[in-house]
Amino acid sequence: MEKALKKYTWVFIGPTLLAFIIGFILPFLQGLYLSMSQFTTVKNATFVGFSNFIRAIEDAEFLNSFQFTIAFAIAAVLLINVIAFIFALLLTRKLKGTNIFRTIFFMPNLIGGIVLGYIWQILINGVLALVSEPLLALNANAGYWGLILLTCWQQIGYMMIIYIAGLSNISEDILEAAMIDGAKGMQILWKVKIPMLMSSFTVCIFLTLTNAFKLYDQNLALTAGDPNKFTEMLALNITNTFYSRAGAQWKGIGQAKAVLFCILVVVIAMTQLRATRRKEVQS
Amino acid sequence: MKKILSLLFAFTAAIGMSGCGAEGETLQETGSVYYLNFKPEQDEAWQELAEDYTEKTGIPVTIVTAASGNYETTLMSEMGKSSAPTLFQVNGPIGLANWKDYAYDLSDSEFYGELTNESFALENGDEVAAVAYVVESYGIIANQTLLEAAGHSLDEIQSFEDLKQVSEDITARKDELGFAAFSSAGMDGSSDWRFKTHLANLPIYFEYQDENIQSTEKIQGTYLNEYRNIWDLYINNSTTEASMLAAKTGDDSRNEFLASEAVFFQNGSWEYGNLTGEGKFSDEDLVMIPIYIGVGDEANQGLNTGTENYWVVNKEADEKDIEATLDFMYWCVSSEEGTEALANEMGFVIPFENAQKSNNLFVQQDVAYTAEGKTPVSWNFTTMPSEEWKNGVGQALTAYAADQSDENWQKVEDAFINGWASEYALVNQN
Amino acid sequence: MIQNKIKNGFIIAGLILLSVLYCYPIVLILINSFKIETAISTSTAFQLPTLETFAGFANYVQAIIANCFLTSLFYSLIITLTSVAAILLFTSMCAWFITRVASKWNKLLYYLFAFSMVVPFQMVMFTLSSTADALNLNNPFNIWIIYLGFGAGLAVFMFCGFMRSIPLEIEEASMMDGCTPLQTFFQIVFPILKPTMVSVGILEAMWIWNDYLLPTLVLDIKVYKTIPMLIQYFRGSYGRVEMGAMMASIILSILPIVLVYLIGQKHIIKGVTAGAVKG
Repeated sequence: MEKALKKYTWVFIGPTLLAFIIGFILPFLQGLYLSMSQFTTVKNATFVGFSNFIRAIEDAEFLNSFQFTIAFAIAAVLLINVIAFIFALLLTRKLKGTNIFRTIFFMPNLIGGIVLGYIWQILINGVLALVSEPLLALNANAGYWGLILLTCWQQIGYMMIIYIAGLSNISEDILEAAMIDGAKGMQILWKVKIPMLMSSFTVCIFLTLTNAFKLYDQNLALTAGDPNKFTEMLALNITNTFYSRAGAQWKGIGQAKAVLFCILVVVIAMTQLRATRRKEVQS
Repeated sequence: MKKILSLLFAFTAAIGMSGCGAEGETLQETGSVYYLNFKPEQDEAWQELAEDYTEKTGIPVTIVTAASGNYETTLMSEMGKSSAPTLFQVNGPIGLANWKDYAYDLSDSEFYGELTNESFALENGDEVAAVAYVVESYGIIANQTLLEAAGHSLDEIQSFEDLKQVSEDITARKDELGFAAFSSAGMDGSSDWRFKTHLANLPIYFEYQDENIQSTEKIQGTYLNEYRNIWDLYINNSTTEASMLAAKTGDDSRNEFLASEAVFFQNGSWEYGNLTGEGKFSDEDLVMIPIYIGVGDEANQGLNTGTENYWVVNKEADEKDIEATLDFMYWCVSSEEGTEALANEMGFVIPFENAQKSNNLFVQQDVAYTAEGKTPVSWNFTTMPSEEWKNGVGQALTAYAADQSDENWQKVEDAFINGWASEYALVNQN
Repeated sequence: MIQNKIKNGFIIAGLILLSVLYCYPIVLILINSFKIETAISTSTAFQLPTLETFAGFANYVQAIIANCFLTSLFYSLIITLTSVAAILLFTSMCAWFITRVASKWNKLLYYLFAFSMVVPFQMVMFTLSSTADALNLNNPFNIWIIYLGFGAGLAVFMFCGFMRSIPLEIEEASMMDGCTPLQTFFQIVFPILKPTMVSVGILEAMWIWNDYLLPTLVLDIKVYKTIPMLIQYFRGSYGRVEMGAMMASIILSILPIVLVYLIGQKHIIKGVTAGAVKG
């Protein structure tokens, strides 16, 4: 069969491969090269070595956005997963109306980041005005928690669905066996359910973590980095470096930042996958 | 699948009828014009003008508007494309520095030949790289009817002290009068340029006058106290609580002024069309006065008059597109329809020989002030080092408005003075 | 038992409260979309429309006529439909080949696809937009090539995961009967893939429909605006903010999604689950 298939290699992989080269491989390699160049368009690049990287690292705003992104990611990943897991536990108790609740909790996920951002901007500014606190444009704390609240609202439903699927995969027999052994509710949760759900946790943490690092639309629409770039996350900082900064040197610096960002995301994703996968094997 | 297809057809039909359909780009023998416009207030008028021109000559003209805060961003991404703008704007020498490699030499163009004053052109070596197509004025627009209702008259206001007295008197009787002194000094992105750029021009202008310079790499901030005074006056005698200014838009501010909720409204001659007409103000109601901040010879201070609108033709564009663009520009500033639209509908002063005089009230007032011997305040904000600098000052101003402490003002000064030096260095390295 | 019932009652009450809170942000926008422009501000956001501030459908009319909402809807639909169709067809073929032919190259390709899932868009945004421009992929009718390339990672990954679990025998038997690989794929494999197709299609459609930065940078902004671009345009590029029309557009943009969701809910939730397990 392989032989017959091989004759058709280009029919099967050709279109995807071509688009993949145009849409990913080529831009990626070109991006790597441009990160070591000074350029305003792809055609007029001149090689400058690693100076872009040095200036990217020296950029205080970049470092600030790095810290902010980390602080955001930690809180967002924890909150989303804990709450989504609790929701999943509640919705697998065979209560009345479970389906309706599931439908509602999942819905925000379908709405795009830009729209979400503006919805929450209006809501949060309204609440801030009500309690006479400074509005989002001036309020770094509100910006931070606002972003977290928004991502929670958006992603809890999605993760909840994954946890529900995991929970319903645990067979009744195991749970019954545990009960016969005298295990109580909390013990069943910690000793049986959670270990058996490790692969769901892997997936959910992976998704929330990479989403948190790549967050752009919501950030742009909700705070756009205000106040004073305090709530500017990495993706927004890089895009701004590219397109809002006048001057020939900025594009190269922006591309260098993007390469660093890319390495960071890949390393974090790999480390996380490895760490939780190991847990899966043990259980 | 059939359902989806028929739905799509229905859509296409509906769009065609609503006039929203995009005109397909056809290959043109004659070349075409793509103008990236900087002035949102005039977007509609530009679209009409472009349509007229296309109808007349058959040359397609596309005009896309991106406002101040996003202009550079849009220009940057558009210039990287194959169908890049053939005509774009820079705000002055600083703006030109970033785009001089793209600037077509205009010195031989018919268009440049009719410029009334060479100081309206920006040079790049021997070449004419950019030409101003509009001169504008800004100041404090006052509603005379309200001012009189409050028991004051225009003659009373000849200096910052006078302005302060009148404003504070109105604020003291705000509830009784039913209106405030100033419309909201909104710091939303659609409005903050009025203060981080236009108002900030005054301390810069007076410092340049003192030092006898045209631009600087280090601003000293000699008149920042006066800047604070006028800002205090705006935000504490306003329709809106100072802490709420962060989210107020340009539309909010204009609407308050139109609804006679405020006597004063800082803005420019470009607002004339928005303020007058059916159900709005008539010329008798309105007057524009200089922005006094308590520096220099206030008795002889005029309006803030100048330009930040320079046209640059993209030399990377196709030969025939450049031709088409030059023709279009010439038509705009010399033909009857063109100058009629620019002078009256858009309310510009057009510094070209055959152009019509504008019937814009504020423009006429500027002429009158100058005739009285008052000195217009020139536009030095075009020498601000970068958009980042403006944003920094704007942020600090907004924060200060919400909490008017000395520490917060210190941050404004910091953004103004240190921000200037660091941004200047950043922008001008290599 | 009774204790349990009381407990469940509390839980349901809590969930109802949460559901109301969950819907509130959208309801808030819905309410504001019926108010006149001057009555939509931070201090008045929570007020219900009164006789004076009720705008009827004026904001919706404004959004549809003056801001060309339908045009954007059309472009968003075209882009999403063509891209998803292309992704489903081509990546399933590609994934079948990769799983059925064991070679170094295929392994490499597989890892590259997986890698592309993690790479942030900022890494390629500038070069991608210039490539797209040079190849004339800057319109809603060709942009699917970009989406096929950039979205292939997830799709190939999910298809491969599923194909590894289906037995080879049927395919081999079909080839023995003299079918070409193409016939085998479309007659045997394609139908089996249907559930995975639905999952992949839903995940990719959600991404493409809501995508903002890629079309902003790639499309010819002179002519084309997708829905997310239109909504950003209200705030971003116009200098003045038409809050009323913006509220109406937000509601209009959510409406089709909610409709599709309510109709195809079962598939969507299954799709998400499948995507996660394979991921």
